Amino acid sequence: MSDLSEIHFVLSKKKSLKGKILSLDNFFEHKNISFKIFYTSKIFSKRFELEDYSYVKNFDFNKLFGNESFKLIKQKELSYLNQYDEFQFKINSVCSIIYFYKKPVGIICLFSEVELKENILTFTQFLSYHFDSIIRQFHIQSKLTNKTLSLQNKLLEIESIFNITELLNSHEENSKELYQNILLYTISTLNASKGLILLKNTNSDFYEIITSIGINEDQLNKKMIRDTKGILKDLKSSKKSIIINDTDQCVLSDFSESNCLSSPILSRNNLHGAIIIHDKESRQGYTLFDHFDLRLFDNITKKISLSFDNILLFESLSESKKSIDNIMSSISTGIIKINILGEIDYINSSASKVFGFDSELIIGNHYFIVFENNQNLNSIIEKSENEKEIVFETNFDILDFKNKKHQINLTISPVFDENNENSGVVLSFEDLSGINKVKSTFKKYVSENIVNELLKNENLLELGGSEKDVCILFADIRGFTSLSEKMEASKVVYVLNNYFQSMIDVIFKYNGTLDKIIGDELMVLYGVPLKNENDCQNAVNSAIDMFKALEVFNNKMKSEELPELGIGVGINFGKVVSGNIGSDQQMNYTVIGDNVNLAARLCSSAKAGEIIISKSVFEKLTNKHEFTNRDPIMVKGKALAIENWSFHS
Amino acid sequence: MSKILNIEEPNGLVIISTQGYFNKDLGEEIQKTITDFINKGTRSFILNLSQSNIVNSIGASIIIEVIESLQEVDGDLAFCELAPIVKKTFKIMGLTKYCKTFSSQSEALEALS
Repeated sequence: MSDLSEIHFVLSKKKSLKGKILSLDNFFEHKNISFKIFYTSKIFSKRFELEDYSYVKNFDFNKLFGNESFKLIKQKELSYLNQYDEFQFKINSVCSIIYFYKKPVGIICLFSEVELKENILTFTQFLSYHFDSIIRQFHIQSKLTNKTLSLQNKLLEIESIFNITELLNSHEENSKELYQNILLYTISTLNASKGLILLKNTNSDFYEIITSIGINEDQLNKKMIRDTKGILKDLKSSKKSIIINDTDQCVLSDFSESNCLSSPILSRNNLHGAIIIHDKESRQGYTLFDHFDLRLFDNITKKISLSFDNILLFESLSESKKSIDNIMSSISTGIIKINILGEIDYINSSASKVFGFDSELIIGNHYFIVFENNQNLNSIIEKSENEKEIVFETNFDILDFKNKKHQINLTISPVFDENNENSGVVLSFEDLSGINKVKSTFKKYVSENIVNELLKNENLLELGGSEKDVCILFADIRGFTSLSEKMEASKVVYVLNNYFQSMIDVIFKYNGTLDKIIGDELMVLYGVPLKNENDCQNAVNSAIDMFKALEVFNNKMKSEELPELGIGVGINFGKVVSGNIGSDQQMNYTVIGDNVNLAARLCSSAKAGEIIISKSVFEKLTNKHEFTNRDPIMVKGKALAIENWSFHS
Repeated sequence: MSKILNIEEPNGLVIISTQGYFNKDLGEEIQKTITDFINKGTRSFILNLSQSNIVNSIGASIIIEVIESLQEVDGDLAFCELAPIVKKTFKIMGLTKYCKTFSSQSEALEALS
């Protein structure tokens, strides 16, 4: 193998420039050739890790080489070279310039006392060309590596933007988890070492840390953070991402070791929060965020800000919808919204209940299909749609989903949007069946007047337990037990039903409330649920009229060859406890207390055709002359005798 | 914030489990730990990153250096339980060409033992 081939082989074995030089050192040592390499550019030496080799400052290539690229050292050149300590050359050394893109960056020197001068010259020339080519190759490779790295980083940045977009799209609400992930992605994409996200507490206007990485959050949360100073003030006014270099000026950045990037979270162009990331990492330690980082950061945070605004908007819309839904479902009026295409857009719970619809099933369907068994309803909806006028219908009959009839008071109103364009109709209706049910239920116990009053003003009705002044009337059929024992059961029922019907008509005439029927005894209240001007007088008038009604009843019984009845009545007035009393299974509105018992006792002491009233009733009567004072009577549960007055029919 | 959570040495290999943001600090901590083990003669390493769900490019570049030093001594490194985002970053940075990834630590242990 020739020497040049050997040199080529030595050089090809090592990959790094440093490795190649070391190998050459060994090779030439064996050949008794002195090999030296110097460099004149520190950047060059650093790039190729040649720091171990001699560095020559301010070397004048022109002075040594003139226009040549290599030189045989003579006495003249030696005196110049020896001014540098690093050069220890002898006469007849051969020096060659190492070029890097035509710029001289170093020198190769070979010297031998044994080797032919021509050979040394050839080696030096070969090495010079070879180094030029190697350095170029290294440079290209290094540039390629850097470009690849830069492309990888760009790819990572793009991926991060995709990831953040994906993350934001997958969340419909603000959550700590979302902010944590946003911050993680942001700081990792920008190689930051720490960061935080703050949001404004809308009640206090202070900013609170929602999430952070690498920061003592507890320490920071003790501080009052407002947008009147520091980074937040800057963000509030600039409304754009900024680089913070004066990090010690603000509590949000004074723990930074290099600089920060901060970006506003805006909602309707107002500052609502901020993202701040600190201390860019590099392989050599912390470095500064630059304008390229700011551009990427701004790109990421703008997406976050936009999404935050959307989330807030979505939350506010949901809140409004929830609020409207709550209002709509709490009102007893049925509401159905039909859009311009005739499809059901909305139905509230009252409307669903009346029609027996599952709202989810009917929304989106045309009203012609939904109300197919209500042709009359369809016709008036159509009329309102066509004429764009409000339609009222009272006592309007509709059929529910199970073909059960309901009566409603209906209003159909056309709806217009902000451009005054018709956008459909709204049906609003009151279900009268409910009112009728109340009427029919209460009618069994109280007069129709009271029912109507109650329906007009529900506040008058106090069904909770309370103490009230009430007049209590008991009416009992005298000797009915022995009488009924001699009669057929059906006749007993017939007689009693006729008797009660006659009595109840009278009771209701005087606004009495039938509390209960106990066997053949009636218990009637005056003053509940509605208080009247003179409940005691009404009770007494009822009792007197009951005797008149009993006379009519007895005449009827006589004509039907049925036994005549005689009743005794007791009335007392006083405080009683009223309310719904009973269990979950059966609960009745009634009154209890001593005054109720006294009324019952007075009734017991009344003979047939007699009304006995207590002192409290007597004092409230306007027609006192009809009553005569009786001897006080002793009743069970009372220590003193009870004063009483009687009336005889 | 981020740290080496656990180091195990089963069957002559070393499993390093980490926690938190895989950045320069954690990368260097791992690099130092692996270098110490290499000097003691260990050649196979598993990095369990189940609790490090994010990595930055500096952290990934330190892992590249670790792989280079392992290649010089004919050693190898495997990853397990990588979060999707970490896996994607390693793929982009070219790490997965030189290291195997496993979905679980037991799988990695079985393959490398």
